[in-house]
Amino acid sequence: MTVLIDLPREAPVVGPGVTLRSLSEEVSNRVLLPNTPRWWWIGFALGMALLLTFVVQLIWLFINGVGIWGINIPVAWGFAIAEYVWWIALASGGTIVSALFFLTRSPWRSATNRIAETMLLSAAPCAGLLPIMHLGRQGLFYWLFPYSSVMGVWPQVRSPLWWDFVCLLCYILMSIMYYYTGLLPDLATVRDLARTRWKQVFYGVLALGWHGSARHWRNQQTVYAVMSAIMAPMVISVHSVVGLDFAGGITPGWHSTQFPPYFFFGAVISGTALIMMLTILVRWGYGLEDVLTGYHLNALAKVMLVGSVMLGYAYVWEAWGPIYGSDVAERTQFFYRIFGFYAACYWGKIVLNIVIPQLLWLPIVRRSEVLLFSISAGIIVGMWLERFVIVIPSLSHGYMPSYWGVFFPTFWDWAALAGTIGLFLSLFFLLLKLVPIVSMSEVREIVAKERSR
Amino acid sequence: MSQIFGIVGVFDRPEAVTDAAKHLRSLGFRAMDAYTPYPVEGLDQLLRPQRRMMLPLVMFAAAVAGAAWGYFIQTWDEVLNYPINVGGRPHNSWPAFIVGTFEFMLLVTIAAGLFGFLASCRLPRLYHPIFNADAFGRASVDRFVLCVEARDPSFEVEHLRRIFERFGAERVAEVPA
Repeated sequence: MTVLIDLPREAPVVGPGVTLRSLSEEVSNRVLLPNTPRWWWIGFALGMALLLTFVVQLIWLFINGVGIWGINIPVAWGFAIAEYVWWIALASGGTIVSALFFLTRSPWRSATNRIAETMLLSAAPCAGLLPIMHLGRQGLFYWLFPYSSVMGVWPQVRSPLWWDFVCLLCYILMSIMYYYTGLLPDLATVRDLARTRWKQVFYGVLALGWHGSARHWRNQQTVYAVMSAIMAPMVISVHSVVGLDFAGGITPGWHSTQFPPYFFFGAVISGTALIMMLTILVRWGYGLEDVLTGYHLNALAKVMLVGSVMLGYAYVWEAWGPIYGSDVAERTQFFYRIFGFYAACYWGKIVLNIVIPQLLWLPIVRRSEVLLFSISAGIIVGMWLERFVIVIPSLSHGYMPSYWGVFFPTFWDWAALAGTIGLFLSLFFLLLKLVPIVSMSEVREIVAKERSR
Repeated sequence: MSQIFGIVGVFDRPEAVTDAAKHLRSLGFRAMDAYTPYPVEGLDQLLRPQRRMMLPLVMFAAAVAGAAWGYFIQTWDEVLNYPINVGGRPHNSWPAFIVGTFEFMLLVTIAAGLFGFLASCRLPRLYHPIFNADAFGRASVDRFVLCVEARDPSFEVEHLRRIFERFGAERVAEVPA
């Protein structure tokens, strides 16, 4: 009955062969040794090629305006907004794994948190750029800053759109600071293991002279715990405010009080799914099977399953509200969503986000990297469909039948999608080459604990 | 005697460092520090029992200041500088200002945490005499280093060497200043 049997209760978090020295060397060597694996070059080249698409798309957009996309009246929000929500959800997942599970002291978080945060820092710029691209006059985006008040332009601070801007700005800045606080001791390890002069100088400067004294560690531990306790509610607020962007509008299909938690559930499942894919990639590519073990994949899969169940709960309420309520427009909108022109997207998200992830109840699925990778990829596509279904069918089927219409993506819509993926891949692969991808100082504690057991 | 910064004992177990530090403190040594690859529970409390952690207080003060700043930006915009009637809501519609206030509060708190952390560690400081210690590079990998500094009044090389060796140091070395 191995189908139904979970990992043994005392399954090791790290493999038995891992010592403090082998851990530091294996992880540091990935950024120190000159030979770069071929899969890295392939991934990076793919990222750069798509990034080039992004640049071309941006230039064309700046010349011609947002009319190059399929958006029009009534569907004035298209891919850019749907993908903004998609990217910010993927990014938020990084903080959820990193900060929330630091507070619960989950041992599996220690080896995966750097991957999660690297993913977050690569995804957040994609999220940040899309709403700016969507502005009619991109050059004036800085009017959102409170600075514009001094120029005699007053942003409407009572609007969820302004809240969202503030949240995203603060979120990116805070994530960088949180990342760096956790990274500092590892940069010192890389500095100490570096053999060439310029790498010693490069990592020496980045490590700021960290020498791991008792005083340093105690300060770092204290401040990191407080920061985690701040980042966890922060990320919930960020994604809830994204939900408020929609809930604040009276469009049928958006005007719902459940949106803030609904969006947050989506962040849990999609972010964890991307972390799962990247963890499997790093584990395979860097040969870190002993550091990123089945224990980690099992734990991530369980978080993903919880996210799927929570999202299913939100989907039930999304259906129940219009059916039970008395608002005709809401009901019409909902039936359009599930049977209308975009019905395939609706059912696609149900299958990919709710039905297929239920396989994760089976331990045998949680032990198979191929299945985990495929299910995660399906979830990421499914979450993209969910964002599409929230934004586009709602606008295309509003209160007035005379105001109904459909949206078709153009070539440039797809180019924007491909381009942001390129930006993400380029940044992620670059960071993969520059910073240690596993938090060595934290895994050392686990190694020491396991060794003394 | 030539100028030296101190003397280090290199250990391969965290317990050895803790025991040695405990013993040295009981002998009256004060100017010492331990360098470890990961945080060793209670080591700092052992070396500096009187030390109070100010960082959480600093972060709390920053949180209060950040919240005040965030609320002020919005009130100044909407109440003082250019009051405008939006949908009949009061100028100082505080519930709508909460999100902005919250985010500014957290941003300032995290920033205060990072910079306060660096300041309390005396970082950035790219050079420190302890970097001269023999095999100090391994203190960030798999070794636990205890250093007694020469400024301690009862500093004496041979005495300390014997103590370090008694606690199982794999090597003992002087650190040039």
